[in-house]
Order: sequence, then C-alpha cells, then structure tokens
Amino acid sequence: MNEVIAFWILSAVAVLGALVAVRKRNLIHGVFALLVFFAGLSGLFLLLLAEFIAAVQVLVYIGAVGVLLLFAIMLTERVAGDDGRRMTSRGWFWGVVAAAAVLAMLIQQLPPPEAAQEMQEINPSVEELGKKLMNPYVVTLEVLALLLTAALIGAVTAAQSVRMPKEEDSPE
Amino acid sequence: MTLHHYLILAAVLFCVGLMGAFTRRNAIVVLFSVEIMLNAANLNFIAFWRYSENPELLHGPMFTLFAIAVAAAEVAVGLALVIAVYRHFKTVDLESMDTLREE
Repeated sequence: MNEVIAFWILSAVAVLGALVAVRKRNLIHGVFALLVFFAGLSGLFLLLLAEFIAAVQVLVYIGAVGVLLLFAIMLTERVAGDDGRRMTSRGWFWGVVAAAAVLAMLIQQLPPPEAAQEMQEINPSVEELGKKLMNPYVVTLEVLALLLTAALIGAVTAAQSVRMPKEEDSPE
Repeated sequence: MTLHHYLILAAVLFCVGLMGAFTRRNAIVVLFSVEIMLNAANLNFIAFWRYSENPELLHGPMFTLFAIAVAAAEVAVGLALVIAVYRHFKTVDLESMDTLREE
C-alpha cells in the first residue's frame, strides 16, 4: 500500500517537474524544475530497488548536470526571459501534435497486461554490480573511459575562444 | 505496482521531453528536453529489469549506468557547443541559427 502511494507521489513529482522544466519561460526556474524531475526519478529508482542507480542519478544529474546547465545558462543571454519574445518555435503546434502521436503509439505498443506482473525478489548489492563491471563488461567500461576522456577534451576545445586574426586571410 | 504503470509513466515523460525539444526555441531548453527523454528511457530499463525473469543478471542497471555516463558526456559536449555557437551568433535562439558559414 505504501508503495502504491509512493509511486503516485513520485510520478506526479516527475511529470510535473518535467512539464514545468519544458514550459517555463525563466530558464533558471526551468533548471530547478528539472532538478525536481531528476529527484523524483531517483525516488522511482529506489522504489524499483535499484539503490545504486538512484545514488548515481543524484550524484551525476542533480549534482553535475544541474550545475553545468546553470553555468551554461548564466554564460548566455536572456536568463529571465521576460523580454516578451516568443519562446516557442515556429510550428510549435505540430510539435505538440507529433509528441502526442508518439505518446499514443507508445501506449498502444505496451506488452499484454498478463506478461510479467510480479516483481522478482532479489537484492542486487553494489558489490555484485562491481563484479559484473569487471567480468563481462570490462571492455565496455574501458570504451566508456575513453569516451569520457574524449568528451572532456572535446568540450574544452569546443568552448575555448578561438581568436582568429580577421585581417590576414589564412589559406585553409 | 505493475510493469504497466512504469511503462506508461516512462512514455509520458518521454513525450514531455519530445514536446520540449519540438516546441522551444532556446538551445539549452532543447538540450534538457533531451535529458528528460534519456531519463525516461533509463526508467524503462530499470522497470523491465525488475519485472524480468532473471534479474540477477543485472542487465538493466548495467545498461542504465552506461547510459548515464554517456548522457553526462553528451551534456558536457552539448553545452560546450552551445557556448561556442553563442560566442559566434550572440544568441542561443535556434531559429536564428540558420547558416553554417560565416556571413
């Protein structure tokens, strides 16, 4: 019973957070709504007994991604968004229609209700996850490490200010 | 709670993200709409794992962990690109970025 109540509260928090994040005009408020969404999702992971994933969600998303987004917003213009400009794109109506169509299609494709209704009773410890990370998934782990390094270097080079001398035309 | 509840919730969250990516003009909002969609997919992974036949294989959490790491890399690179584009065009409005070359 408690589980059901927790599920409904957490899913309401997640959906409302996502909606506010997407619709809010003020970007800073939007990011905070996004953090609420991440927190709600982390609670849902806990409800599904994936406690390590919930912790990673809090650390990576609420901690790192949230701060990164805040910095990016503050480095660019029009934070408050109160300048009366249009905030939706041209053809936003068709965007909403397309999203609703995708939702209808996804709901239609749900597996039959009799399939897999019972939650399996296991308790995956973090130790087990670590062992899996070392035994069958070690190549994936290494590739991921490479990807993160490449992303770090790429982010630094992309965000670096390139000061090209405008006067002298360098032959490229 | 059944698997259906989680799947429907994930579908709704995914479509909220999709709506944001389709309807907003600000590049940063589009970026975090993509994050919402990725998180909805992660919720699906975990839900399918919990209701699967043999959850002790831990396929769901492993995939989710890797997806979170890739998403973190994506946010870092995406925001760096947004800042680079902002420096060039002096805006993050997607509708006014409609050229690839310098004018």
